[in-house]
Amino acid sequence: MRLGSYLLWAAVATAVGILVLLGYFVQLDAIPAEGWLQSIFQLRLLLMRWAVLLAGVALFVGLINLLAVHWSKVSEQARGWGYSAVFLLAFLATLILGLIFGPDSAAVLLFFNYIQMPVETTLSALLAITLALAGFRLLARRPDLISAIFIGTAFLVLLGSGPGLIPSGGMLDSFFGGLRNWLAQVSAAGGARGILLGVALGSIMTGLRVLLALDRPYGDE
Amino acid sequence: MPEVRCPMCSAPNPETADVCGECGARLKPLVAGGDLGLPHEEAGAPGPPPGVEDGEEDWLARIRSQALTSGGEEPTEEESGESPAPDWLGRLREADSGYEEGPPEGVLPEWMDEFIAAGDESEAAAAEDEGLEQAEQVPEWLARIRAKQAMQKAAIPEEEDWLERLRHEGEAEIPAAEEPPSEIEAMPPSEALEEPLPEPEAEEAVQEGLAAEAEPETLPAESPFFAEDLDALTEEMPLPEVQEEGPEAPPLAPEDLEGEALPHVPALVPEDQSEVPLVEIGESDLEGVELPDWLEDLRAEIPVSAEEPEEEVESPDLAPATLPSWLEAMRPTDAFRPEIEIEREEEQPVESAGPLAGLRGVLMAEPVVAKPRMATAAAAQLEVTERQYAQAELLQRLVDYEQQEMAPSEGPAMRIPFVRWAISLVMLVAVLIPFSFERMGMRGYPLPASISPDLAPLIQRIGDQPVDRPALVVFDYTPGYTGELSSVAGAVVGQLTQRGYPIATLSTRPTGPPLAERMFAEAAAAGAQVSHLGYLAGGPTAVQLFSIAPRDAVLSGFHLPREGEEKDPWAIEGLRQVQRLSDFGLVVVITAGTETARTWAEQTHPWIGDTPLIMVLSAGAEPLVRPYFEAADRRVDGILTGLPSAVSYRQLSGQPQLAASQWNAFGTGMLAAQLILLAGGAYGFISWLIRRAQG
Amino acid sequence: MMGLDFLGLTVLALMIILLVIYLAMGKRQAPIFREIPAFEALKGAIERAVEAGERVHFSLGTGSVIGTDVAPALAGLATLAEIARVTSLSDRPAVVTTGDGAMAILAQDTLRSAYTQAGALDRYRPIAARMLGPTPFSYVASLPTLLSSEDVSVHILLGAFGAEGALAADFGERQNCFVMAGTDDVQSQALLYATAAHPLIGEEIFAGGAYLRRDRAHLASLRVQDAMRLILILGILLEALLGLLGVDL
Repeated sequence: MRLGSYLLWAAVATAVGILVLLGYFVQLDAIPAEGWLQSIFQLRLLLMRWAVLLAGVALFVGLINLLAVHWSKVSEQARGWGYSAVFLLAFLATLILGLIFGPDSAAVLLFFNYIQMPVETTLSALLAITLALAGFRLLARRPDLISAIFIGTAFLVLLGSGPGLIPSGGMLDSFFGGLRNWLAQVSAAGGARGILLGVALGSIMTGLRVLLALDRPYGDE
Repeated sequence: MPEVRCPMCSAPNPETADVCGECGARLKPLVAGGDLGLPHEEAGAPGPPPGVEDGEEDWLARIRSQALTSGGEEPTEEESGESPAPDWLGRLREADSGYEEGPPEGVLPEWMDEFIAAGDESEAAAAEDEGLEQAEQVPEWLARIRAKQAMQKAAIPEEEDWLERLRHEGEAEIPAAEEPPSEIEAMPPSEALEEPLPEPEAEEAVQEGLAAEAEPETLPAESPFFAEDLDALTEEMPLPEVQEEGPEAPPLAPEDLEGEALPHVPALVPEDQSEVPLVEIGESDLEGVELPDWLEDLRAEIPVSAEEPEEEVESPDLAPATLPSWLEAMRPTDAFRPEIEIEREEEQPVESAGPLAGLRGVLMAEPVVAKPRMATAAAAQLEVTERQYAQAELLQRLVDYEQQEMAPSEGPAMRIPFVRWAISLVMLVAVLIPFSFERMGMRGYPLPASISPDLAPLIQRIGDQPVDRPALVVFDYTPGYTGELSSVAGAVVGQLTQRGYPIATLSTRPTGPPLAERMFAEAAAAGAQVSHLGYLAGGPTAVQLFSIAPRDAVLSGFHLPREGEEKDPWAIEGLRQVQRLSDFGLVVVITAGTETARTWAEQTHPWIGDTPLIMVLSAGAEPLVRPYFEAADRRVDGILTGLPSAVSYRQLSGQPQLAASQWNAFGTGMLAAQLILLAGGAYGFISWLIRRAQG
Repeated sequence: MMGLDFLGLTVLALMIILLVIYLAMGKRQAPIFREIPAFEALKGAIERAVEAGERVHFSLGTGSVIGTDVAPALAGLATLAEIARVTSLSDRPAVVTTGDGAMAILAQDTLRSAYTQAGALDRYRPIAARMLGPTPFSYVASLPTLLSSEDVSVHILLGAFGAEGALAADFGERQNCFVMAGTDDVQSQALLYATAAHPLIGEEIFAGGAYLRRDRAHLASLRVQDAMRLILILGILLEALLGLLGVDL
């Protein structure tokens, strides 16, 4: 990217970012119905709508990229090209049905209800088994205090989250229920809050680097 | 001016030059019987070279005279004094039969043709017939040869005519290398190499002899074949004179030689005691020289003369080749060539070709130089230290390793994940067993006794809202979380449909609308007012835009009837008056992710007004969303998380309860997870103890 | 009077000023950061992968460019730039996957820039950065095929992940890959702590640029984060103390 075009795009990114960012610091009910503030507010809305449009177009571009990758796998007969061929067939079938009958047609919903949803639900169930296995091996792989606290906390929350080792309705159930609430709503929440603050700081600095053109995710040649 | 290249050093020389200006080698070979422009008194008897002064002794003449003297021959008048020039050249011309190769086919001079045609027996008759005319044309040397042959044939009748033999040899291919003399054959090639060098005493004698006999002659320094050291050599070992021909000698043209003499340098000179004595050629020196048959026969005839020089050899003027002491010191201790015994002059071979033809003592190109030979082990011995040897060995090993073909690396051994399979089996059994509780006669888990204090206000809030304002239900989760969230959200959705709220569904995910349609299919079939607003693209930005102006953000719906006004998603009874988010009576967000919940909580806050925001969450999202519920300036008005809360909600709201198998499967699954964690903790602790004990 | 969030604007201005100050200081006062074991192990793992001719897989997560998911993805892009530069001349350059089309385009751009900087633009292939699936679980479902067919030995997850991140990390562990995972979602961080061998906790994902690239902008922004964290800690403690004393701000 030449210096001239780079500066131009950097200036556009910075200007748009600052405009949208400052909008979050202005209470909208204080914006008059007329005047330059209203114009800036409308401009901000327009830019946000453009961002929405770009997100949709980016999804389309991503799908094209996906098709290209699998097509090249099939044409080169790379390892696992059979799965890519199945994907291409399913993609084309769904696309054609959706274009002809609409995305909310019974045919497309048939694909969704009987193929996509069962597959994704199964993967979610697989997640449960994976987490149980990870909990089983955690202390053996990483024998430290943090891992021990992790396992202990998970066990206590499980005890207070539902029926299991401790039957419902007893004193133990009440005790572990309260303990679980304390762990989830006080201890974990506090720790999560701290992590979220740090993550928020990191997110702000990442955004500021982009706004101030210190970080160039849009290409740097 | 055309140039002639020296055959020895390849230096360019004028065409008229006879000797190379660089190395002194002859450019024009000496031709027997030819007029080379040399002033000579008689034909066939070459006179002294133009440049030779009377006072200089020609070393060739000296050698010849010595040879003749040793052989009991006296130099003829032609060779002594009057003709200091080497008469061997003349003898070579007279011999004219010493060359192995006959004249090329079809290129015989006229006189040869006539001679051949006439034949031996008719030679004399032909000569007589032709009379004086031919006698005038046949050169004298040829006449002598004929006379000799006649005598020989008279002596040896069965001997073939040399000319006939010559003709046959010329017509046929060049004969194969004839067997060298027996002496030469018997002598192994390495014998000469292994002969010891002359002793230093002999070297001194050689030096004295050379110094007394010859005049020093410097060689051109520019000659590549003569190194600088040779200049120093010549100071102590003056080289013999080289015949220098007159620079004015005109070059001979081939036509000048026709009819006059055979323009060939005879390789060998036959022994002819009756004629001009020739330089003796020892049989032992004829290594590598092909001798014609007739020469072999000649040699056999004169055995005495060949042996005599061995007995009466005198110390030649030219001392045998010995190295001076300083040169001897320069020679490597382990000589590349073993010591070579310098033969006597008479035994030394005569060079047969090239500018040094006819000379004795010429260094043989073979077998000393040309033939490759193995260096002795001693010569190749290097001084290598232990470290160097080890490094060399390492280097050799590295090189060999590089050249080895790498065996294909075996893939990782297939591990059977026993633990993974075992845990999967336990979880599966734990979830499936409750479906057979009833058949097995087992009671399942009891419903939760303790109810969260947050449920009652939530139920109250939903129950108190007027039903003339529609409820917005947001399905912001992926199909993978359907198992949990459909059970949890079903409680709230059930109450909404039970109360008769007009329902509008929305999603910021592409897979959200089908999930909404699936959730409300039964209610819609039962007559509930459900409008699916569809997919809202744009993430948090779109949420804010929808909050500000819902009708501008959503233009088309999902799975709507195709006829009439119902194509408009905002056309149903309850949605017609909705202009902003606060016009909704209730907003319920069903999500499994904390970020989505926080987005709706934060983005909708400025525009939601008094409309309650209810969060239906997965159990894992509760810790991070609850602060919005418990904050002083709460942005979430109700929260429902996890299946136990949903069961309690159903209990409190009077809705049909979940299927017993679902609650029991949840309980046994929790039990299995707890036991697995316990076992894992114990396994890890024991492993740690064992590792610690092992150190 | 126009309603303005003065506190927010003040914090924003303070962060910008600190950033400029730390940029101006540059390396005169070299910052000293604590060692993050995951990044230290990552360097060695990438070197081994390059030498062995194995591939590095980099995942930018399933988040979208629009929204809060973009922050960890941008942090992942900063780390990707350095890794792509190092592996550009490898027999098997790095492959990048995302769950969003716009993120795939950004990844392509970052790869091309890295290859250009390494002088290996001719080795750049656009399909090296690809979208595996539009939904999180469909993205994760494609990972096992990718990991096995591309001979991946280093499996890096730096971006926006949900619970599916645990599955993604577990797939890498099954392939005996070096797995390093980090995200901004707290719930997912807990899952990744249990499933990944080298997890990044908290905002460590945003430190990748400073630890790997060591350029001035990332070092300065990390110093600003540390400074602001300290200010927030002091502010929280102060408000808590005042609250205990009955002072209401």
